[in-house]
Amino acid sequence: MLEGILEILIKIVVVLGIPLGALPIIIHVERRGAGFIQRRLGPNRVGPFGLLQPLADVAKFMFKEEVHPTHVRPFFYTAAPLIALVVALLPLACIPLFGTFEFDGRTIYPEVFRSDMGIFYAFAVSALGSYGILLAGWASNNKYTMLGALRACAQMVSYELSLSTAIVAMIFVFGTNDIHGIVGAQTGYWFGFLPKWGIFVQPVAGMLFLVGIFAESNRLPFDLAEGESEIVAGYHLEYSSMKFAIFFMAEYIHMLALSALFIIFFFGGYSLLPGLDLIPTDNAFILPLLQAVSFITKIAIMVWVFVWVRWTLPRFRYDQLMDLGWKRLLPLGLVNLIVTVLFVYFRNQ
Amino acid sequence: MISDIFLTIITMVFALMVVFSKKTVVSAFALLMTMLSIAMIYFQLGTVFLAAIQVLINAGAIAVLFIFVMMLINLEQFQNNREKGKVKLVISAITILIILGVFALIINNNIEVLAVNNIADNSMLLMFDKLFHVYYLPFEMATVLLLAALVACVVITGHEKNAKVELEGDKHE
Amino acid sequence: MSSIYYYLAGFLFCTGLLGTIFKKDLISILLCLELMMGGVSLLTVLFSRSTGVLESQLLVFFMLIVSACEVAIGLSLIIALYRKKQTIYTDDIKIITE
Repeated sequence: MLEGILEILIKIVVVLGIPLGALPIIIHVERRGAGFIQRRLGPNRVGPFGLLQPLADVAKFMFKEEVHPTHVRPFFYTAAPLIALVVALLPLACIPLFGTFEFDGRTIYPEVFRSDMGIFYAFAVSALGSYGILLAGWASNNKYTMLGALRACAQMVSYELSLSTAIVAMIFVFGTNDIHGIVGAQTGYWFGFLPKWGIFVQPVAGMLFLVGIFAESNRLPFDLAEGESEIVAGYHLEYSSMKFAIFFMAEYIHMLALSALFIIFFFGGYSLLPGLDLIPTDNAFILPLLQAVSFITKIAIMVWVFVWVRWTLPRFRYDQLMDLGWKRLLPLGLVNLIVTVLFVYFRNQ
Repeated sequence: MISDIFLTIITMVFALMVVFSKKTVVSAFALLMTMLSIAMIYFQLGTVFLAAIQVLINAGAIAVLFIFVMMLINLEQFQNNREKGKVKLVISAITILIILGVFALIINNNIEVLAVNNIADNSMLLMFDKLFHVYYLPFEMATVLLLAALVACVVITGHEKNAKVELEGDKHE
Repeated sequence: MSSIYYYLAGFLFCTGLLGTIFKKDLISILLCLELMMGGVSLLTVLFSRSTGVLESQLLVFFMLIVSACEVAIGLSLIIALYRKKQTIYTDDIKIITE
């Protein structure tokens, strides 16, 4: 009993600690990457290569005066950032960082929430992500925040559909909805060199999913929720200091969780990177460690793709966004789903 | 044990908030919380699939729709002219107390029969087996129903006809 | 002890009914209908868990679909009404009785 509780506590600390600890690094990479892409320097003054800049930013956010506007609805105004952060953290509960392994005669599962409904749980919870934004927009009692919140909400609901079609197609391909089963199906190589990743089986679903996670996490080219030139700063216009920082954190954690799901479905999850499987795994801890390294490397590459896209593509117009979601991606996803289902059906005949 | 009572109390409080809060947006958020706590109860009862579906559909989609529509039509302009019928409230409260009493009587008499088994089993596969083999026709009909609802929404809130009405309303003011 | 949920289901249904009778604006009435639906679904799941019949869980699944359709159409009707009459109060909509 006590061991079980201890195990779950350790898992919770790891699952919350890694993303929250990685946040300053991601923000630093984003700012330096922006500088690199735009041919300028970026923050490089504080510490070596500007690595201490995130710490300075945190200190600034902590000690800045908190401006609390008088025209807001106080309870919801305070609750909104917290709801956004908590909801963004929830999907991490069922994402395994490495495979199951034997320790002390017991099988250790890496997820906090172990269930065969893990995928459903992750998507159900990340669908709640729009509430923090809606609440912030409404509670700020300002027409710009309201517009930003409504835009974000409509956009997230629309792109969930194409996201879901991509996921259903992948579940058909792998024949299971257990995350470990999905990762297990992607371990190994075709023709001796091509990894059995889902992206090579279902490139269309991969594209749909990638576009979907850009829209879901409100990142450029889909950051209509905060389009600076039209609606000032969108839903977090009235927020300052730590509350604003919490929205920022929630956005980045949502991005991390969605990238982790993308990697689980399309890039083999925690299955070893090509090359790492040559290392002998005689100790019981080596394999989980290598798996964790592979997974984190893949997520890091994914984060760089986010940064890269953000500073490369311009923002969509709102009607273009809705057209893309409803008239292009959704029919494409449905056609892809039907073709996949027919293919799987005739393969199993 | 304790978690059962805790979940019950939470759900009751939020359900009361849905009915008795002054602002409609607050009651929509209370409905969201009620749905989430019902999902937790499903989870507690071992029906994990229904819990996930409850979060996905009821909390993730339906409550968003409610809040979205409330914000679209700017509900707060109505908050002031809201009147209360005291007599109506008293009569309906009495009726509901009677219904609740009858319900409690029925449950109390059958409490041994209705003992709840809350051990999680892998009933999901069995359930899907039934859904796709025995009840596939209702399932297909449900998709047709969803499609019909989608088309109905587009037709009801259609753009061209109602745009004129809106313009006339503006002139009238 | 889980049988406390039976009372909860009844309570949810009755609260929703109270709201449906007592509330004045259409959106609140729809909200309370959802509450009633939640109570009924909970009761159905409880029956499924006590009798071991899986069909009741399927029934909840279908009920969710129906309630989603109901809310979508109800809300679009409310929007259409609002565009036409600039109100969502039940007291203001008496065109049939007049």
